[in-house]
Amino acid sequence: MAGAALTGGPPRADLTYVNPSGVHTLDPARMSWTQDFRVALNLWEGLSTWDPRTLEPIPAAAHAPEISDDGLVLTFSIRDDARWSNGDRVTAQDFVRGWRRAMEPGTAADYLFFFTEHIAGAGQYVDWRNKHVAALTGLRKLARGTKPSDNERRLIEEFALARDGRNSVAWLDAPQHDWGKLADELLIRHAAEAETRFAEVGVAALDDRTLGLRLTHPCTYLADLTASPVMLPIHESIERLRMREGDLPFTAEGLVVFDPQWTKPSYSRHGYDGLITNGPYRLSDWVFRQRLRMEVNPHNRAAGSIQCRSVEMLKFANVSASLMAYEAGVVDFLTDLSVPYGHELARLARAATSTDPDRHSSDGRADFRICTVLATYFLNFNCVRAEVNGRPNPFTDARVRRAFTLATDRAALVERVLARGDRIAGSMVPPDSIPGYTPPMGLPFDVDKARALLAEAGYDDPAALGPIEILGTFNDERLVQAVARMWREVLGVRVEIRTQETKTLAKDKIDANFLVARGNWYADYNDPTTFLNCQTTGDGNNDTGYSNREYDALLSAAKSETDPARRARLLREAESILVERDCPVLPILHYAQIIAAKPYVRGLHANARLWFPFQYVSIDR
Amino acid sequence: MIRRIAMQRRSRFKAGCARLAGGAATLLSVYALTFVMVVLIPGNPFQSGERNLAPETEAALRARYHMEDNWRFFFEYLAGAARLDFGPSFSYADWTCGQILAASLPVSMILGGLAILIAVGVGTPIGVIAAVRRGGAFDATARAALLAGISVPTFVTGSLLLIVFSVQLQWFPIGGWGTLWHLPLPAIALSIPFIAYIARLTRVGMLDVLGSDFLRTAVAKGAPPGVVIWRHAFPVAFLPVLSYLGPATAQAMTGSFVVEKVFGVPGLGQHFVNAALNRDVGLILATVLVFSAILIAANLIVDALYAWLDPRISAAA
Repeated sequence: MAGAALTGGPPRADLTYVNPSGVHTLDPARMSWTQDFRVALNLWEGLSTWDPRTLEPIPAAAHAPEISDDGLVLTFSIRDDARWSNGDRVTAQDFVRGWRRAMEPGTAADYLFFFTEHIAGAGQYVDWRNKHVAALTGLRKLARGTKPSDNERRLIEEFALARDGRNSVAWLDAPQHDWGKLADELLIRHAAEAETRFAEVGVAALDDRTLGLRLTHPCTYLADLTASPVMLPIHESIERLRMREGDLPFTAEGLVVFDPQWTKPSYSRHGYDGLITNGPYRLSDWVFRQRLRMEVNPHNRAAGSIQCRSVEMLKFANVSASLMAYEAGVVDFLTDLSVPYGHELARLARAATSTDPDRHSSDGRADFRICTVLATYFLNFNCVRAEVNGRPNPFTDARVRRAFTLATDRAALVERVLARGDRIAGSMVPPDSIPGYTPPMGLPFDVDKARALLAEAGYDDPAALGPIEILGTFNDERLVQAVARMWREVLGVRVEIRTQETKTLAKDKIDANFLVARGNWYADYNDPTTFLNCQTTGDGNNDTGYSNREYDALLSAAKSETDPARRARLLREAESILVERDCPVLPILHYAQIIAAKPYVRGLHANARLWFPFQYVSIDR
Repeated sequence: MIRRIAMQRRSRFKAGCARLAGGAATLLSVYALTFVMVVLIPGNPFQSGERNLAPETEAALRARYHMEDNWRFFFEYLAGAARLDFGPSFSYADWTCGQILAASLPVSMILGGLAILIAVGVGTPIGVIAAVRRGGAFDATARAALLAGISVPTFVTGSLLLIVFSVQLQWFPIGGWGTLWHLPLPAIALSIPFIAYIARLTRVGMLDVLGSDFLRTAVAKGAPPGVVIWRHAFPVAFLPVLSYLGPATAQAMTGSFVVEKVFGVPGLGQHFVNAALNRDVGLILATVLVFSAILIAANLIVDALYAWLDPRISAAA
């Protein structure tokens, strides 16, 4: 054991970089974090990818698609020279396999909506599958002698009992049934039907090299979606690790589950022989929360021209220690310098590049770079609950929300309180980030107007607002304190702060158990809707509970609009309702992230997606 | 006579069995208690970051991890744990809790074991000398230093060690794990509070013993001071230290979260904290069970040693 824990590592890679939190998962269908995306997109290659300089989507494993006139049917032809790391050709079926797997219950995670919202029939298929999983789960519970949930009961009645024409409710409550047998029968029927159901989903391999796609609506940003991990192809060898109930392709509950060890570079079982990927690199080593190593995929078409032959990712829980290691030359590249002294690093970064003589200084560090990330930090106002924790909620009134927005001096917060190089946010969508879209300016800092609005809303005496509680996390204490102080001074209201651990806060937000709560959002794709959809009525991420028909209508009109300029106008109008009139959210800043790369590392671009394809990197020590 | 020895052995065996059964019962109650807490705390193990998971997707994931039914999970997990199969981790989808423990527990045991060895090796002589030279300059300096050792948190001492020996002098690597050179700094940082406790316990123990009759007898009989201190006084004075070593070893082996973070050591301590923050139910239960098992085992070993060092104990038992 001691030997296993204390053996030396392999020789130093061409490029060594640090990820403070390591990798959560290498399963592309289940990942949610930027650092995981980065590794996956160096190991795999989707239909498209992003140019690291401009972030424009560019063709990758397939040529640019043929698109029908109505924009709904797309035909991709896979490149002839697209290869897996074992030499196999990349086929259209590999994409169908990867995409279907990502939709299936049991695998599906955060990015399921990429399929359900854009691909014809995907939503219906997933819904149908989920209902059967719930019914089967309920039946298995009954077989074990525990009670199913109400939803499961309902679905058992619908799928397992109704066809017998029995009085299902009474029948379900009667004891002594062979629930296990009933479940097995349902599973067999379901598995047989699943294939015909999936054939109705708008993704199909027309032949080995041709992938056909049918969309629910014309999608201007589709090439952005197809570049993301959830839409990567998966090599057929994974099928050897599928968990089966009998010879059915599902588990007893109807789930699609593969042995989770499939992402390991040297996992051999049932003929499976380690992870096979189709990107510029292949995975050669992965030690849990210590290091991960990639080597050039010799079968990739770019293999010959890639200069950076091996990349090692190290995990350093302590960002300051990783900076020390960087200064000592042990690592070449740091992807995240979020430290309490971030403002000082931002100053050094700006001092090296700024032409402004006030900012320029000789101790500047040109190797520190500031990436303005496609992400927004904001505060949520609870728009629905009349009372929260026994206190009246004034934020159901849009005038009060607008008053608090007007009373927030965002420039002071971003430039004086934090000073990390973040951008001041007037809107949810970061300006100059999405070609063809200019977000609204947002409300200015206007104290008089804020007070007048409060008076108009019936709060002549701000004390009548009662104590306003802001929910924050340990990471944004400083900012939340500054906001609280600002509101106290400007509006004369009592403000309290409750600092919570992330998951508890997330629960309170879902339960609408807050008055004001912090929030942040990272763009999933390069389109305003990635930010704006969250505030539509009933959206799963609409934590404020905000609901405005006009806003919903504008977004739904934009969905079917094919003219880009008109579409941008509709979205801008919607966003202006959001941040200038109704104000359910108060955008504060667009994040900056500081990265550091040694001068001898060439070809790394500081971009808004923190997307670093190592195949373009060269090392010139 | 032979019969008496046999009876004594049998009663010792019985006592040992009772101890073991008690340990198992403790472990089981710890498991049940942790399970209840895990079920009660708010927060969703399947949600990552800000994004809310669709309820159907979450239901499917719960079914996948057999979490849709608390009773089922309680017994299945327990049955698995009995076979040392702790199931999958919820927050690290590609790893089982067993793999995570296998990767991190040896690291923590090596680090914690070394820290305790250093603590005993350094702490006891300091305590003995401070007691023998009670009120002297050494005693005063040691007491001040020990107080500092207990009060200064390890993230301060750890960072200082790192800056001086790794960054400035470059004698040791800056964090990480893999070679023998990675060991000394985190082990020293981890050992400092234990050195302080052990030295203080030894000192107090020695002061007690030094005033006792049997030592005066030994001195009167003409035993040399070294023999009096190390052969007669020390074993008795060491008993309180010994009872402290049980929990201390367990704590050093599993509770080195801060030191691990400062030095980037991939040990078990990080999982204690992160599993709770991530609501990684499988990993929370696994780490708690392992910690409790180590604690119980360490205490059992200490009890056995105690009985061996001080026959009065086993007679009383």
